[in-house]
Amino acid sequence: MMQSLDLWVQYAPLMLRGLVTTAWICALATVVGIAVGLLMAWLGSIAFAPLRWAVRTYVEIMRGLPILILLFVLYYGGPSIGLRLSAESVGVFGLGLYSAAYFAEIFRSGFQSIPQGQIEAARMAGLTGTQIIRHIKLPQMLVLITPSMVNQTIILIKESAVLSIITVAELTKNTTQFVNETYAVIQPYVAAAVLYWLLVETVARLGRFVERRVKF
Amino acid sequence: MTTKPLEPIIKIRDLTKTFGTVSALSGISLDVDPSEVVCIIGPSGSGKSTLLRCIGFLEEYTSGEVQIEGRLLGYRRTASGLVRESEKNIDAVRRNVGMVFQHFNLWPHMTVLDNVTLGPRLTKRIPTGRARGQGRHALAKVGLESFADRYPSQLSGGQQQRVGIARALAMEPHVILFDEPTSALDPQLVGEVLDTMKQLASDGITMVVVTHEMGFAAQVADRVVFMDHGQIVEKGPPVSLFNAPESPRLREFLDTWRSRNMLFQNDASVTGEGEEGGARS
Repeated sequence: MMQSLDLWVQYAPLMLRGLVTTAWICALATVVGIAVGLLMAWLGSIAFAPLRWAVRTYVEIMRGLPILILLFVLYYGGPSIGLRLSAESVGVFGLGLYSAAYFAEIFRSGFQSIPQGQIEAARMAGLTGTQIIRHIKLPQMLVLITPSMVNQTIILIKESAVLSIITVAELTKNTTQFVNETYAVIQPYVAAAVLYWLLVETVARLGRFVERRVKF
Repeated sequence: MTTKPLEPIIKIRDLTKTFGTVSALSGISLDVDPSEVVCIIGPSGSGKSTLLRCIGFLEEYTSGEVQIEGRLLGYRRTASGLVRESEKNIDAVRRNVGMVFQHFNLWPHMTVLDNVTLGPRLTKRIPTGRARGQGRHALAKVGLESFADRYPSQLSGGQQQRVGIARALAMEPHVILFDEPTSALDPQLVGEVLDTMKQLASDGITMVVVTHEMGFAAQVADRVVFMDHGQIVEKGPPVSLFNAPESPRLREFLDTWRSRNMLFQNDASVTGEGEEGGARS
């Protein structure tokens, strides 16, 4: 027990650095994912078929691909087409663009969940298209999609462990270093599990807070 | 009709609407004068609601014209014919047209008062304070002032529909379109909505009402329009339309309605219950 404690204290800085890296990469990736996802959902709703097909294709490709393959393509394949990104950037954009496909689907179902009659009533009240999105669609949609969005963010956090394979010094990579240097197994992975759980629980709590705020 | 002192509020000429290959409206012409109450009756699928939705431009019409207070709705006249109008200009023409829907279509995430004031605040840029005053006034008109801070889900169907009417009123429209306003209501809640509408009619508000309530049409309408298969088969004052229908189709329609109504009355007398019992059966 004493020995475990010593190990944890000794490796706390490394593990916490890993946690911080995981946290900021995931935060940025979520922002990219939500922004691109919202754009996709909006483009997909425009009555112009080629645009819809493009969005559809993007979603299908991203959903049909293991995240690791996408990361390899960006990280190792990128330089051959002049795309030289740091491992962290690949992490942010890889995870972001990957989750964008899922966020897009969440937004799409959110937009579709507002009954047409409510939109017609808003049009008869003279509201413009943007006013309808702002005052009628978004407020109701947020209540419905917040749980799925929190869920998607949590999945993204856990998926981010694969970034260790492309040398990002995030939590899983640093855990592996912990294992390699100490030949201990239990202590490093228990520490990693606790830290991941803390991060996920923080996001879940944040989500429940938002859920309460947007509820009507 | 006697003399027409004013330009009609709604002027419809040769209106047609097709959905794919199905023709929903074929050649409708109709004028609605200020302060007039026009009830549109007819069997399901006769095009009544489609006509109303074309007047509100919730449905693009295929050919013909709809004019609101002399302004063409939805299209612009150019040298090469009619061209689709921009949303902004459609909104401008539609501003004086209110609509009440079969399924109320209230916005569930807003209080009753916010439902009523959202339109005036956003589209007429009326300051919130004044809009709320006007909103309360509109709610008072439908007898729901004390429900201002409730949410739609806390109201009965009849109350929700009266909020729908108040929402339309708050925009101070020159004409209100009612699309089967009582069809989604439990029988015992129909009366309160019809009473509210009668009140509006006596206030001189121009109304076009698609309805299955023959009693209401007979009592309140200045003119009744009977539609079947996308056409106006017969129109005129309710007395002549209901008592001396000319077309066989209208006669058949009224006979069906009367025999069903008779059934209700018999039921009530058999069970010895009052009006309420009859309405429930």
